[in-house]
Amino acid sequence: MTPLFKQIRLRFFQGVLILFPVCTAFSQNITISGFIKDAGTKEALIGSAIYETNLKKGSTANEYGFYSLTLPAKDTFEIIVSYIGYKPQAKKIFLKENTRLDILLTPSAVLDEVEITATRNDDNVSKTEVGVINVPMREIMNLPVLAGERDILKIIQFLPGVQQAQEGTTGYFVRGGNTDQNLVQLDEATVYNPNHLFGLFSTFNVNAINNVQLIKGGFPAKYGGRLSSILDITMKDGNKEKYQVEGGIGLISTNLTVQGPIIKNKASFIVSARRSYLDVIMKPFTAKNKTGTSYWFYDVNAKVNFDLGKSDKLILSAFKGKDQAAYTGANSLNYQIGFGNSTATMRWNHLFGSKMFVNTSLIYNDYHLGLGTSQGNYYALLYTGVRDYNAKTDFTYIPSPKHIIKFGATYFYHTLYPASVSAKIPKKGNRIEINKDSIPQKFSNEMAVYANDEWDISKTVGINYGVRVPYYFTTQKSYVFVEPRITGRVSLGKTSSIKASYTVMNQFLHLVPNSTASLPTDVWIPSSQLVKPQQSIQYSLGFFKNFKSNMFETSVEVYYKDMKNQVLFKEGSQVTLLNNIEDALTYGKGTSYGIEFFVKKNIGKLTGWVSYTLSKTEQTFSQLNFGNPFPFKYDRRHNLSIVATYDLTSRWTISADFVFYTGSAYTMPTGLVPVSGDGSLYDGYYYDYSTRNNERLKPYHRLDISASYKKERKLFKHKYQSELVIGIYNVYSHMNPYFVYLTVDPATGQRKAVQVSLLPIIPSIGYNFKF
Amino acid sequence: MMKKILSSLLLAAVCFIIGCQKEIILSQPPYTSRPSIQGLIEPDSIPIIYFNRTIPFFTGSTNTGSLVIRNAIVELTSVNGTDIFYLDSTYDRILCKYFYFYKGTTPILWNTTYNLSITDSVENYTATTTTAISPSTIDSITYTSAFTDIYGEHEGVIVYLKDVPSQVNYYRYEMVRIITDSTKYREINLSSYCIGLDTITITELGRSVYSDQNIDGQEIIIIVEPAYSHYEGLETLVRIQTIDKAAYDFYDQLDKQKLGILNPFVEPTFLKDGQFGNKAIGFFGCKTHSPPLAFVFPE
Repeated sequence: MTPLFKQIRLRFFQGVLILFPVCTAFSQNITISGFIKDAGTKEALIGSAIYETNLKKGSTANEYGFYSLTLPAKDTFEIIVSYIGYKPQAKKIFLKENTRLDILLTPSAVLDEVEITATRNDDNVSKTEVGVINVPMREIMNLPVLAGERDILKIIQFLPGVQQAQEGTTGYFVRGGNTDQNLVQLDEATVYNPNHLFGLFSTFNVNAINNVQLIKGGFPAKYGGRLSSILDITMKDGNKEKYQVEGGIGLISTNLTVQGPIIKNKASFIVSARRSYLDVIMKPFTAKNKTGTSYWFYDVNAKVNFDLGKSDKLILSAFKGKDQAAYTGANSLNYQIGFGNSTATMRWNHLFGSKMFVNTSLIYNDYHLGLGTSQGNYYALLYTGVRDYNAKTDFTYIPSPKHIIKFGATYFYHTLYPASVSAKIPKKGNRIEINKDSIPQKFSNEMAVYANDEWDISKTVGINYGVRVPYYFTTQKSYVFVEPRITGRVSLGKTSSIKASYTVMNQFLHLVPNSTASLPTDVWIPSSQLVKPQQSIQYSLGFFKNFKSNMFETSVEVYYKDMKNQVLFKEGSQVTLLNNIEDALTYGKGTSYGIEFFVKKNIGKLTGWVSYTLSKTEQTFSQLNFGNPFPFKYDRRHNLSIVATYDLTSRWTISADFVFYTGSAYTMPTGLVPVSGDGSLYDGYYYDYSTRNNERLKPYHRLDISASYKKERKLFKHKYQSELVIGIYNVYSHMNPYFVYLTVDPATGQRKAVQVSLLPIIPSIGYNFKF
Repeated sequence: MMKKILSSLLLAAVCFIIGCQKEIILSQPPYTSRPSIQGLIEPDSIPIIYFNRTIPFFTGSTNTGSLVIRNAIVELTSVNGTDIFYLDSTYDRILCKYFYFYKGTTPILWNTTYNLSITDSVENYTATTTTAISPSTIDSITYTSAFTDIYGEHEGVIVYLKDVPSQVNYYRYEMVRIITDSTKYREINLSSYCIGLDTITITELGRSVYSDQNIDGQEIIIIVEPAYSHYEGLETLVRIQTIDKAAYDFYDQLDKQKLGILNPFVEPTFLKDGQFGNKAIGFFGCKTHSPPLAFVFPE
């Protein structure tokens, strides 16, 4: 055994040994455990709460709906089980031994104040986690739509600390981190490009989704591999009671979801598919203009699950999405892009007694993107491919209401095949082409072990602490790190708390940033001898306070994040197929800090939130900007989001969102340098740059509204739920900047800046149904 | 009603696809002009120094006469004494402009250290170079009608030369030839009305500069896309300049910056401080050149 493995093993078991003694000191206890599910569909209610009212102890269901609550032995327990959007359930139970108790909750049409005060929906205050936001699907289903589609990533971008990348481009930014620093998981499989339609839609069909959780700080040790955020999306299992069909017809796409039991209450399936038809709508225009502009995408989700007795469950899920687009735009910008994600996951859940839950997963993931683009007299081509094989096992051990212990291990085998080239369009002859089969493949291994304990030390103090040890190796180089994670909470009464966290994260895959803002593109490369892993240390501190029996949630969080081994292109570096992309890169560091304000109204006819972030992100590269710090491209001083939904009647719901943020930074020359000599090509003007990213696009702001009308209808004597959704994106048609390019007036020689905007007002209409 | 909705939707879709653009005024902070100095002296030649000022980026067409910094004291000092420069100009018939420079009176000597001193109303700018520089020798020249490099596929004049061993060398391509009509620049088609029906002799310089780093003493191949149009049988003279490090660093930056200006997929290159610190942009260096070798365009 190598010293390295010894070191890893030692550190892991040290962590486990530290954790476990505290778990064994409980005796004369009774454990209630089981699953909390939707009464109608038997879907797991992730994050639902169970609470013993006399002992004032509780627990929360995990991502599979499993809970375990160990209590001091007595005859009668009074428990209350609750979940947002569902009617809380109170039970009086008589127990003498450990008991399996599965609980079914019934959805409520509107969550009223009586319900909320009877339960404990105060996780934001009481749980020892910071920077974690659960987005219930109920909220997503009520938010404004674009082109008839509801979208998860759109909602994520309204949350504090999260910023939209750019209209018409992919990705989002969390606390000053680049887009590659966000891990997006669908049923535990990594989705490298979770976007459709230039980032306007995500690849996730909301009808197939059960739960969404965003973590942007205070990362539990279970998560790793990215610096800035984890977006954990869980698909529905499928209705175990009855067959159900739902779908929607929008202006751009149509979707259909079918789910139902394979064996009633034992096994179920769900299949969800979506296809766009913008290419069909635009056909008359493309034929006339001969621009070749076209667009289509599709995605398919499928999942089956089998209950293999009371303690075992097998889940198979798969996802496939594909985009193909050709675009002709301003400044002779043309591009053709095609990309696709495919994932397949096999998971096995097993219960060891009533206190330990294990999930073991085998995951396959494939992502590829090909792009050809030209602007002016130059063109660029790139191809990126990522294929992952992943095996992982995660243990959850709940010895008492005071401890939730998680530990596990994961292993990835990455295969990346990146290629990029840019060149002048030849006057004659063929352009260079990338043959994807001839791209050298880069293989790497990433593994990690972790252990984590969420420990309520007392009623007022709790800590969530753990350690993760990632080990990354290729044939040439290996890296091993120790990542301590700790979050602390001090409750200040029942309705407020202060929390702080310290996390260290490492990232072994890197997104090579494209030099131009106008392209929705990316190239993934693995860490190597030259490309060192990205690393971040993040500190955050927050004050959380709820008002009026949790009707209002408020929080203020400050954070500071230090990032090392950030990647940008070198100045004047043109990538070719002959040289290694790594040689065209330069490496530096970044810092981000900010304060985030969040006010949310959870219940009543009017619900929604206001979030505001004041932040600053800088980068320092020795080979860029004379070695001086410069603003991160997506450094946005101000970021304001307002989201509101109002239930006008039992059928009509109106909603609106408004977003405002500081424009992105870009580099603009400040002076012209006359250069002369020998009457040669050098004669003319060159550019004097003062600082990198010295200019800002105009601030971005936009208002969207939508209204939905729900009604129960009949079709061939079958009742179904219908919903008509009307929306307007960018109501006042503000021409938000997309990018700026320079031009010279040939007559006067005057240089000019031209701003290109993308999306004006876009009305939409959609029709959804559910049988 | 339905027609109206459909019309507005299609209009939005068209706008999405073509994008909408408008000129904007950027409120840049006041720009502080700096001198721009280029001095590339050559043994056996009369030295000239370009001494201009930089201007704000969004300035319209500017007369070269207003760019030159007049009334400067330009001196070149060596062990043999001090040469005091005077303001002179030349007319560029391709660009139809006068270019202004300070010109010395005494030819540059080999293996001599020269100290440049420029004094304007604000500052004194100084730099030094030594004309201890070895010319290279061209072995042969050929031509290809299709060659692929980082600029894509293009025609190219291929020059083979042997690197001068045991010293650090930097090279640049130079071709002297006659052009007879409109001039074609590499990136834009520019017909020069100043040439008319005349023929003029031009010096065509390669934009890229080459270092012999890691290939000391070996054969160097330089492939250059001709900047101006040519025809079969056109006779030219090709020379390879050997330049010093100061000149190489400056022209390499210009080359990379030009690439970034022309190619939107390349990051912009900032012009770094050189011999004049942050007081002025530019360089003061020296060059020599190989013996000329005749080359005839085959097409």
